[in-house]
Amino acid sequence: MTAGPQSPTPIPERHRSNPFATRFTRPGRVPPLDATGRAIDVTAVVESLPGGVWAIEAPHGHGKTTLLMAVLEAAAARGRGTAFIQVRSWRDAWPALKAVASMRRSGVVGVDGWEQLPPGAATVIRLAARWRTGCVLATTHRPLGLRVLARCHTTPALLAAIIDRLPGHEGHIAPADVSDAFHRHKGNVREALYDLYDRFERRGR
Amino acid sequence: MTATPDASRSTPRVFVQFSHPDRRFAPSETLVVRYEIEGLGDEPPCAVEHSVLWYTEGKGEEDLGVHFFDRVSDPDRLPPLAASGDFTTTLPPSPLSYEGVIVKIRWCVRVRCFFVGARDFVSEHEFTIGHVPPARIPVASLP
Repeated sequence: MTAGPQSPTPIPERHRSNPFATRFTRPGRVPPLDATGRAIDVTAVVESLPGGVWAIEAPHGHGKTTLLMAVLEAAAARGRGTAFIQVRSWRDAWPALKAVASMRRSGVVGVDGWEQLPPGAATVIRLAARWRTGCVLATTHRPLGLRVLARCHTTPALLAAIIDRLPGHEGHIAPADVSDAFHRHKGNVREALYDLYDRFERRGR
Repeated sequence: MTATPDASRSTPRVFVQFSHPDRRFAPSETLVVRYEIEGLGDEPPCAVEHSVLWYTEGKGEEDLGVHFFDRVSDPDRLPPLAASGDFTTTLPPSPLSYEGVIVKIRWCVRVRCFFVGARDFVSEHEFTIGHVPPARIPVASLP
């Protein structure tokens, strides 16, 4: 009988996963952590969520989408209606407006990439959110005149804490690699993880 | 696993037997799988899904294709009355398993147990289709 994943029978070397693959690192796989590497109490965030449009503000790769998705998941678990809209171009303005206009009173709509919205659409969505008295959480890279719910910061300790939650790298990645990747990519954790992916590929074969 | 087991619940174990013990198959070959579920404790599943699928793994966006899927919810075919199951499918000609640097293509048998209360447990068992050699990293790019 061929053993399952809990069995001591080893999987052939070439089948071992790269722990830094998107499969393990994409938003939603690792819980949101603060700058010290501790898990953020998302339940507390949900319970104190005010109405209106609020921003989660940070540069690229600082955990905005991770935090947004965790808040939406926790809100959904508490029976609050949720929706997630990823804005990649002006074409996504309509689905975002539709989600906000149809949300329930206690609903939470996540708009990932708020600055991609045309200015007119952003204004209409803000008005719709006020009318529906729900909460819209928007991720932005820079201040856009929205009230700020959270600003995400990254540190080497945060990156190390994320790596601790990924599958094992079997010693292919040293603490110096983590620090180097973090500083090389100026605190962009997503790029740092991609950098570590490459290092693992070079050393793990 | 998509649900975190608590201390009061036992974690199931799924053992899978492939028709080729080395888990290497040729394109369009017949795959026969027999699986056994253990460690369910006093909580039998209300349904078991077994599937054969491929997925990509790498630095970019992920892709996935389900080749075979079956859901078993008849109590006579579920633990504790039946702790094992089996299925047969003809594998497709592609995609072939591939160990690239930026992207990899993996095939697996997935057994998913559903319990009362929306809890579930997923167990994946890899196998390969074809003999595409793994990508080599140029020596010049090694650290």
